[in-house]
Amino acid sequence: MLYTPLILLLSAGCHRSDRIVVGSKNFTESDLLGEIVAQQIERRTSLPVERRFHLGGTFVCHQAITAGQIDLYVEYTGTAYTAVLKLSPGPDPDSVYRAVAAEYQRRFGLVWGRPLGFDNTFAITVRRADAARYGLKRISDLARVAPRWHAGFGYEFLERADGFRGLAGVYGLRFASPPTAMDLGLTYRALAEGKVDVIAGNSTDGQIAALDLVALEDDRHYFPPYQAAAVTRAQVLEAHPEVRRALAELEGRIPDAEMRRLNALADVEHRDIAVIARDWLRVNAP
Amino acid sequence: MSVLAFYARNSQEVLGLVWQHVSLVAISTGAAILIGVPLGIALTRRPAWRGPVLGLANVFQTVPSLALLGFLIPLPFLGGIGARTAIVALVLYALLPIVRNTYTGIAGVDPAVREAGRGMGMTDGQLLRLVELPLSLGVILAGVRVATVVGVGTATIAAAIGAGGLGVYIFRGVATVDNTLILAGALPAALMAIAADGLLGLAERRLAWRRT
Repeated sequence: MLYTPLILLLSAGCHRSDRIVVGSKNFTESDLLGEIVAQQIERRTSLPVERRFHLGGTFVCHQAITAGQIDLYVEYTGTAYTAVLKLSPGPDPDSVYRAVAAEYQRRFGLVWGRPLGFDNTFAITVRRADAARYGLKRISDLARVAPRWHAGFGYEFLERADGFRGLAGVYGLRFASPPTAMDLGLTYRALAEGKVDVIAGNSTDGQIAALDLVALEDDRHYFPPYQAAAVTRAQVLEAHPEVRRALAELEGRIPDAEMRRLNALADVEHRDIAVIARDWLRVNAP
Repeated sequence: MSVLAFYARNSQEVLGLVWQHVSLVAISTGAAILIGVPLGIALTRRPAWRGPVLGLANVFQTVPSLALLGFLIPLPFLGGIGARTAIVALVLYALLPIVRNTYTGIAGVDPAVREAGRGMGMTDGQLLRLVELPLSLGVILAGVRVATVVGVGTATIAAAIGAGGLGVYIFRGVATVDNTLILAGALPAALMAIAADGLLGLAERRLAWRRT
């Protein structure tokens, strides 16, 4: 009887540290991947999982995981390389992945899992009708019409080393006016409503097909790779090797087309992400 | 890099964004006063409208800013991208405190005072101009004060739709994982809110003092 409070105290302490907190950034794909990762840990381990989803972007997720507020989230190699580590982008997926994994381990005590499979690069996107009328297939075709066109870009794209400034130089793009800086989510609506003529979306976004838009091919290979992978605190993986095994089952399992399909299920058909994640796991990690 | 060093290097840009921010708040709060005060007065004359009108103003407060901007983009005249859309959104957010305080202020005027006015043969217009508005000015001004201070903070969302303002630094800083930039936008906005609160508080006190 005398030990009961002590045992309770200990188990309460264990409970706190044994809970896995999964984060995600503030867009559908990140929520979906967070949910898939969270459910996979729930299926394969006995650890309780807490979800901290839709955090305000790369900045907030990075702050949260380095402060130990979350234990893992899914990040993109190109984003970590340029936005977090502030290195200038390179085109080779493997060298970017290796550099990011090594630096994260050294500087933050964070471990990168192997990539999940798809590459979510920036997608220079126009209305399908415009693409047909002006024969636009590649970004280099855009230079012809750009002087009469208006662009709307998200802040991330305008500021990043691998964003607009470099793109404009590589493809010789000069628009009718300086690009309008706006929220990324609102750029899709502005494009569909004809308020701007070209935006920079993400290649795996469901809206591209849903709003009848087309992404132009990056024919000069300007954008670095953005492979998605789970980033986890090293301490958590040491304490719970079963988490590492659970996550390893997901590596390389989500190709580009599959990610687009999952995003469209959530964004276009408005299916519940928990259901999408459960169905996907049942088929792909039985 | 410290925020001060950042300002020293980008002083032109900072001043431009501060000016944009002040303009956004001034225009939107001004428009909200022009719409909200008459609306609040109308509610005291038509008590049946009170529920629906204040309910609608409440609803605008609960719509997240990005969603509101998204709804506004396709609208003709009011919508599109740029300053006009941002101002429409800011007016919608500023309406509630102004309408509510105008209504509460006038409705709170002592019925005995109102009766005395009527007894002197005042028309409804005279009663409003000479009795009700002077007596409720403090409460109405308190509503304007809340709308202005909240507006200084809310105006940072103008940057989400290409309308500039100090939100530009905040959005840029969040997008590029840069604390200096976030502070560069947030600090002047906070100072501006404190200054607006102080100035309007002073005006409120002077009015209260004059009345006694």
